[in-house]
Amino acid sequence: MSTLIVISILAIVVLYLGLFKAKQALLPISVLGLVAALALAIMEWNSNAAPIFSGMMHFDNFAVAFSSICIITTILVFLLSKNYFEKISDNVAEYYTLILFALSGIIVMVSYHNLSMLFVGLEIMSVSLYILAGIKRKDFASNEAALKYFLMGAFSTGFLLFGIALIYGASKSFDLAVIAQYVIDRPTGIDPIFYVGLVLMIVGLCFKVGAAPFHFWTPDVYEGAPTLITAFMSTVVKIAGFAAFLRLFSICFAPLQDFWMPTLLVITILTLFVGNITALYQTNFKRMLAFSSISHAGYMLFAIVALGAASTNAIFIYAAAYAVSSITAFAVLMLVKAKTGSENFEDFNGLAKSNPFLAFALTVAMLSFAGIPLTAGFIGKFFVFNAALAQYHTWLVAIAVVNAIIGVFYYFKVIVAMYFKDNQTKQIATPAYFNFVLGVSLIITLVLGIYPSFITNLF
Amino acid sequence: MSLFYVVAFLSIIFALLVIFTKNPVHSVLYLIATFFTFTIHYIILNAQFLAVVNFIVYMGAIMVLFLFVLMLMNLNTDTEPMKSTLLKVVGAIAGGCLLVTLVGSMKTLSSASTTAMDNTGIGLVENLGKVLFSDFLLPFELSSILLLAAMVGAVLLAKKDNKTA
Amino acid sequence: MIDLVWLIPLLPFIGFLINGLGRNVLPKPLIGTIASLAVIGSFAISLSIFLTFDAAQPQVIHLFDWINVGSLSIPFAFQIDQLSIMMLLIITGIGSLIHIYSAGYMSHDTGFGKFFAYLNLFVFFMLLLVMGSNYVIMFIGWEGVGLCSYLLIGFWYSNGAYADAAKKAFIMNRIGDLGFLLGVFLIISTFGSVSFTEIFPKAAGMVSGDATLILITILLFIGATGKSAQLPLFTWLPDAMAGPTPVSALIHAATMVTAGIYMIARSNILFALSPVTLDIIAVIGLLTAVVAAFIALTQTDIKKVLAYSTVSQLGYMFLGLGVGAFTGAFFHVLTHAFFKALLFLGAGSVIHAMSNEQDMRNMGGLRKKLPITFLTMLIGTIAIAGLPPFAGFFSKDEILAHVYEHNKLLWIIGLFGAFLTAAYMFRMMFLTFWGNFRGTEDQKHHLHESPVSMTFPLIVLAILSIVGGFMGVPHALGGHHWLNEYLSPVLAATNNILPALSLDHATEYMLMGISVGGVIISIIIAYVKYVSKGYVPKEEELQSGISKLSYNKLYLDELYTAIIQKPLDALSAFFFKVVDKSGIDGLVNGLGKVSIEASKTLRLLQTGNVGFYIFAMVIGIVAVLVYSFIII
Repeated sequence: MSTLIVISILAIVVLYLGLFKAKQALLPISVLGLVAALALAIMEWNSNAAPIFSGMMHFDNFAVAFSSICIITTILVFLLSKNYFEKISDNVAEYYTLILFALSGIIVMVSYHNLSMLFVGLEIMSVSLYILAGIKRKDFASNEAALKYFLMGAFSTGFLLFGIALIYGASKSFDLAVIAQYVIDRPTGIDPIFYVGLVLMIVGLCFKVGAAPFHFWTPDVYEGAPTLITAFMSTVVKIAGFAAFLRLFSICFAPLQDFWMPTLLVITILTLFVGNITALYQTNFKRMLAFSSISHAGYMLFAIVALGAASTNAIFIYAAAYAVSSITAFAVLMLVKAKTGSENFEDFNGLAKSNPFLAFALTVAMLSFAGIPLTAGFIGKFFVFNAALAQYHTWLVAIAVVNAIIGVFYYFKVIVAMYFKDNQTKQIATPAYFNFVLGVSLIITLVLGIYPSFITNLF
Repeated sequence: MSLFYVVAFLSIIFALLVIFTKNPVHSVLYLIATFFTFTIHYIILNAQFLAVVNFIVYMGAIMVLFLFVLMLMNLNTDTEPMKSTLLKVVGAIAGGCLLVTLVGSMKTLSSASTTAMDNTGIGLVENLGKVLFSDFLLPFELSSILLLAAMVGAVLLAKKDNKTA
Repeated sequence: MIDLVWLIPLLPFIGFLINGLGRNVLPKPLIGTIASLAVIGSFAISLSIFLTFDAAQPQVIHLFDWINVGSLSIPFAFQIDQLSIMMLLIITGIGSLIHIYSAGYMSHDTGFGKFFAYLNLFVFFMLLLVMGSNYVIMFIGWEGVGLCSYLLIGFWYSNGAYADAAKKAFIMNRIGDLGFLLGVFLIISTFGSVSFTEIFPKAAGMVSGDATLILITILLFIGATGKSAQLPLFTWLPDAMAGPTPVSALIHAATMVTAGIYMIARSNILFALSPVTLDIIAVIGLLTAVVAAFIALTQTDIKKVLAYSTVSQLGYMFLGLGVGAFTGAFFHVLTHAFFKALLFLGAGSVIHAMSNEQDMRNMGGLRKKLPITFLTMLIGTIAIAGLPPFAGFFSKDEILAHVYEHNKLLWIIGLFGAFLTAAYMFRMMFLTFWGNFRGTEDQKHHLHESPVSMTFPLIVLAILSIVGGFMGVPHALGGHHWLNEYLSPVLAATNNILPALSLDHATEYMLMGISVGGVIISIIIAYVKYVSKGYVPKEEELQSGISKLSYNKLYLDELYTAIIQKPLDALSAFFFKVVDKSGIDGLVNGLGKVSIEASKTLRLLQTGNVGFYIFAMVIGIVAVLVYSFIII
């Protein structure tokens, strides 16, 4: 709870800083505030908190872990934002505020204990993102991204809300514990509208995490939005979506696994194939990342399909690995784009010669995406697959491994471009902030890959 | 019960008219009519507060604002953006499919038992206020963040910006 | 000494770090020295472990707990037993020689530091692969060596074809890895563990022919076909010759490509209990051996000949595994490491002298100019052809003896392949070292024997190629097969299941006689054709008749492109065009409606797009509902 308060107040403080033209203070104060929020979140670890505010919110270990990872990733995104918004607009403070608002919504999404809270959190996050996607007001692609995101987001929210309403109609409560009890009390004879509500919630949540066939917005929005916002969306927002998804299903709907598992299974397989196969063909790096994020959503859905004791851990590790690698990829992309003006694979040619560190960091990130051992991505995939195997989804794992191999093709395109192609480019100047972020991401990726016991036994 | 069917029928008719009419101003007017029928629904359900809010805020404020914007933009003639009949047909089919499957889904799973409300007075202003400021205090307060975010965003998007980007 | 075992992989890794970070700062001699010393240090430790190790049970050195998930625990631990010690000696021993050789070979290359960094990294991963005490650590090494191989094949990346070769190698390997990974997952769900010391005793108690075991072993074997270049995944290895020659010698002849054989030998008990898999392995191995030998007959690039020869020899090793001759196959791994590394390094020396010429049609008569290279390569060739008492004779003979007992037909085909081996290897020797020089004047002027740093490893390897076979002299020839006894603790459980070789000595003498006689005849045929008649293959002759098939590698690459790559590309293009770029293009144009006015196109595109997306979503929702409620 204190984390949420700190972030909300921080957002307003930042807004006021903007009013008083204290532009230099924006970034340090935002980061410091987030560090404080992170510390407060971590202090709640193992405190065995009970649901608060008449069961609205439950800051349990699940919430602590996912809030922490979201806050840390946001800090990394903020560090990349140095001088980024200034180029776009005069109203820098408002952008920081909006990101912080989105983050507060995310905190609600990972700690909710009541469907009304889920909805409010989701909306706070989404509304902020609709605006953030369109902050490049003179850029057609950015406007288009914002409009598309808004239209489709509103559409899918309608389904989510309808689902919540139907579940309320059956169980007469928004409270997760009550709904769970409702399901447990009725091994047979659950009200049919409950099932329809459940399916509609799957639809709404699948949209938010960008799973096929509800993924259509992802590539356009990710490509059109400013890169920094894309980085935020494809990491923090996606993780929050999965946390909310998993929380709902593990608390409320676990006994009904026989009903929703086949549906989700099909969605998972479809997501994996659509993401990976389409990514193969892309020539634009940013769009490739968008499709790759769809395929990663597929891997994370795995752990929900095979819902069990290991799922939380699996998603957490996967999300951590995915977040740091994505941040690295987007950071390098921002630098390359600032230099060359475009985002195609050719723009990475010869990067290994001109900027060995950038190239190395990006290589490790790509290897992690591809799930090569000794990187965090391998551990993430291993846990997710292991969770699936625990439920005897052997052939599902086989499909996923095939997909992991397809993934290698396009991740290696970048590596090939950087190391095996020449280009007479001058060195790209990397600001210290970027080096810091890349260094931190690199260390996390390798440390998690080599010694994952840090976080493997959290839950 | 018969009142419900009449109002529900009217809601659907007006909603369809919103879509089918060519003139945007008419479209908005039909939308207002649709909302009005919703207000009647709320009253039938004994949800006074919602009825009042719907009447004052949606019909009174928001839709009138819409109307003004449309008039200021001088869109009162038939300037519906060109849409191919194909798209319309596809849209109708898709929407129809959704409706049919939703209804079908409910049917397959045996008919739903009608749930009687435990407390018919839940929609009264007093009760709603009590719930909102006790049990649902947190989401109620959090909505302020939502509104603030929307407000900041609206100002940001509308405000003049000197930088070109 | 065994406490220091963690130093063995650590030393090359430190070498990698120093050379990787200091590649542009440190002077070349220092880089070469650091890299070589790191591997030599590992070799020294391995050697001392070899000399002191006498435990009958494998020693597991636990470093730390790597992954703990529920009941599954994956430690980061090393396993030292007779099998891993032999591999350690090969990797670090031959690795040291090749590092020394590279210091001379690569001395003019601008990427000197990078090369040694990669080479050290490779040794590190290879050591992890053979030392890991469980399948996951093995998999790390497995992927790591693949990665290093990829980096080293594409080392001279300015040539686009080389970068493609690197990519091909990596992708083919990944297809194999798919099998391996699935096999490991299946092992986890079957045995609840990945550690060798826990799995094998459990497996030994299972019945022969258990379906799960068969599936596991087939998956593992698929992994091995990728890494060890067997049909149908072998085409990457010849292309991998794009890398610098020392890389070919170390990775693509002596060590990495034998990882598949090591893995199967390591899991011998699983395979011994899956007779079906063993039969598959035998057939695939034999086919690979013969097909690759057939292709090698007409290749004109000296390194390609050696590459196909490697594929062919690997095929023999798998044939050995398939007929249950685990010792024999592993014996061949060892001897092959000696003579194939020697041949590659010799070829490198030739290429070095010829100013990077690799086509044998432009060589000839080099034996006087490069005497040391010539002599050592001749030893290597005799060894691979299988003439006694050189190393290849004993190991190949052991495999063929087992094959003979197992199935006479396989033996005949295998023997035929062995004759082909002698033929193409001596063809290579005759074309390169006999006859008249066919290169340019410039090259002739430039001819020189290689520096000591390059000839020294050649000499050492030549000696090993001569005496290496004596570690496995069969009883028929009065030996007592030291290797067999040495490895017996590792293979104990398997030896209880599979029957031992029961040929009488007379039959063995006959087999040896036939194979030696056939080899000598093959050599004579090659001599008559390439030396007496002075025949040099010409491009148009290679493009006709049966040699066309051989010269074009049986068109396997084209076949793979047609049946795998094209459909995948097409599918991807389909997704890209129809689904991704859908919007107005897919929906409206695709259904026959052409956009009406250019001025309105933009607007149309936008609304059309979102409309299409929402349409697709609605269809998706309908599908989900139908699937959830009506189908199920």
